[in-house]
Amino acid sequence: MRLRKGPFVWLLEKEWRELLASRAWWVLLAMSGPLIGVSFISAVRTYAELSGYGGAAEGVGVGEAFSPLVGVWAPTFSACELAAAFLLPFVAIRVMSGDRQSGALKLELQQPMSVLWRVGAKAIVLGVAWLLASVPAAIAILLWRSYGGAVYPPEIGAVAAGHVLNAGLTIALASAAASLTDHPSTAAIVTLSVTVGTWIVNFIAAVEGGIWERIAGYTPTAIVAEFQHGLIRLDVVLIAIALTALGLALAAVWMHIGTPVRARASESIVLAALTAAIVFGATFLTASWDLSENRMNSFPKADEAVLRQIRQPLRIEAHLAAEDPRRVDLEHKVLSKLRRVMPRVDVRYVAATSTGLFEQAGAHYGEVWYRLGDNGVPMMSRETTVEGVLETIYGLAGVEMPVESGEIFRGHPLAVPPRRAASVFYGFWPALVIAAGVFQWRRQS
Amino acid sequence: MVVVDRLTKAYGRLTALSDVSLSIRSGEVLGLIGPNGAGKTTLFECLAGVLPYDSGEIVLDGQPLTAAARASRIFYMPDGIAPWPSQTVKWALDFAAGFFGGSAAIPDVVKRLDLGPLLASRMGALSKGQRKRALLAIGMLTPHPLLLCDEPFDGLDLRQTREMGTALREHAAAGRTLFLSIHQIGDAARVCDRFVLLSAGRVCAEGTIEELAARLRPSHPDHPLHLEDLFLALT
Repeated sequence: MRLRKGPFVWLLEKEWRELLASRAWWVLLAMSGPLIGVSFISAVRTYAELSGYGGAAEGVGVGEAFSPLVGVWAPTFSACELAAAFLLPFVAIRVMSGDRQSGALKLELQQPMSVLWRVGAKAIVLGVAWLLASVPAAIAILLWRSYGGAVYPPEIGAVAAGHVLNAGLTIALASAAASLTDHPSTAAIVTLSVTVGTWIVNFIAAVEGGIWERIAGYTPTAIVAEFQHGLIRLDVVLIAIALTALGLALAAVWMHIGTPVRARASESIVLAALTAAIVFGATFLTASWDLSENRMNSFPKADEAVLRQIRQPLRIEAHLAAEDPRRVDLEHKVLSKLRRVMPRVDVRYVAATSTGLFEQAGAHYGEVWYRLGDNGVPMMSRETTVEGVLETIYGLAGVEMPVESGEIFRGHPLAVPPRRAASVFYGFWPALVIAAGVFQWRRQS
Repeated sequence: MVVVDRLTKAYGRLTALSDVSLSIRSGEVLGLIGPNGAGKTTLFECLAGVLPYDSGEIVLDGQPLTAAARASRIFYMPDGIAPWPSQTVKWALDFAAGFFGGSAAIPDVVKRLDLGPLLASRMGALSKGQRKRALLAIGMLTPHPLLLCDEPFDGLDLRQTREMGTALREHAAAGRTLFLSIHQIGDAARVCDRFVLLSAGRVCAEGTIEELAARLRPSHPDHPLHLEDLFLALT
């Protein structure tokens, strides 16, 4: 007995067939192998050399502190970020605007189905398309295992989750652009402009600091970077999901060509306002999970236990310019970890310039002031290392420095070259994709 | 069945439809006659809900037409579209029947419109006339009681036009109401029961050929009963 398919299943099938007919997707699929391959091969080679391969670091033992998360998976998966920024938008725009270009949308909209289901079908197919284009990353993991490399699933899961969220954002952005504009080329320009715009925000944040720094923390590049360090932050996840939902909802609103433009604009404004409220609310959430094997986003457990007992709010005033390397160290190596265990940390940076070049001679430049509680005695330090900052905080709180447990992450050195990787990523994968593409083309002919 | 009351639609300063009123009766083949630019496509798109209108009302069986009622009662087949260009005609027909939930037998429609030799062809590879037949087949497979067809004979040669006209009459005889937008008046006269004459976004007249001629009789007692002449005289 053959089951009768419902309209949504028909729509899913149609979107899938349209994806298979899309050259943009086949290009993405074919390119993902070499892109991920070149990153993986380069990362494994560097990792091997630092682990002592070929006598490059023999006896030095640099690789002993190496984590595959930073050494291999972050650079390997960064190829996915590249593909998501420059290739995936074209696939998404093709899927979203193809119906409008061909006139099929006018027919399909006459089926009494919610536009949310229509956009949902497209998003599901695009998600599957992205997962298939990410298969070379899974192949890289298998190759790494075959070399005898260590695999810590939680941290790889975090990296993969980051790229899935990033792909979701890209799909949503491209979908909204395709729905809002009349022509795919305009949609492509809009999508790439927004992507470049987020890079500009990151650049301004690095120079100006302040509110820009906070906004830049939620750009796709920053989101991916955090996940690539094995850190999952609740606020980042919620904001990424909210923005993805906004993009898809806007695509649904503007797909409904029978609704007056004014009504669609009003709905869009309401959706944007609702999302802005969710995003604003999410920025106050501090829950996070460090899934890296070497706990690279966390203080030692003993320190965290002591810091959690300090209930008073901690105010920090750092006299360091945005581009000062000490500020970068302080922010990324110390304060980001401190915020995870002490939610009531208020950091304020004070600087007259972005480089701090001519402020160095100032008497107070480089000072970092700490005050615990509203009436606490301020304490100054110029240290920007984990040990120095923690010592200051412990001194303010009047607690003993915890005794180190002695547990040190020894890393997973692996002095093995990337065997077979070139033939797999540059030969086998493209050949497989081309063969599948030809088979599909003949089947549809 | 459907009554259109004072429908108005403007594109900026250009008024495409001005107080358009007409009625569509169940089971009839109604022809929308008008020159290029008269507003025929705009009227169909407003009726089908793919284009918002500025004012007026569409009444279905005595009730104002809601979006849900429209989606289940009216199907519109636009002119000049090339949907799903990468898919075969066979798949497009299967999709139309499955997606819209029609109960018409695909083989019957294929036979009626002589689409058998084209089933394995891609929609994007069809000639204008072939595509027009495939689109009409899609329209015939939908379950909506009222089918709006924009220029169903455009791109067809004389023989195909006659065959298509016969197929449309047979389809209407099976219980479907058809509203056809046609700019070739001779074709319209062969296929339609009644006519709506549209010019510059306004309805000039509505009725059968006899009813239209009767409107002219007081001033033109010797006027012939040719639709072309009536159209020229009334618009």
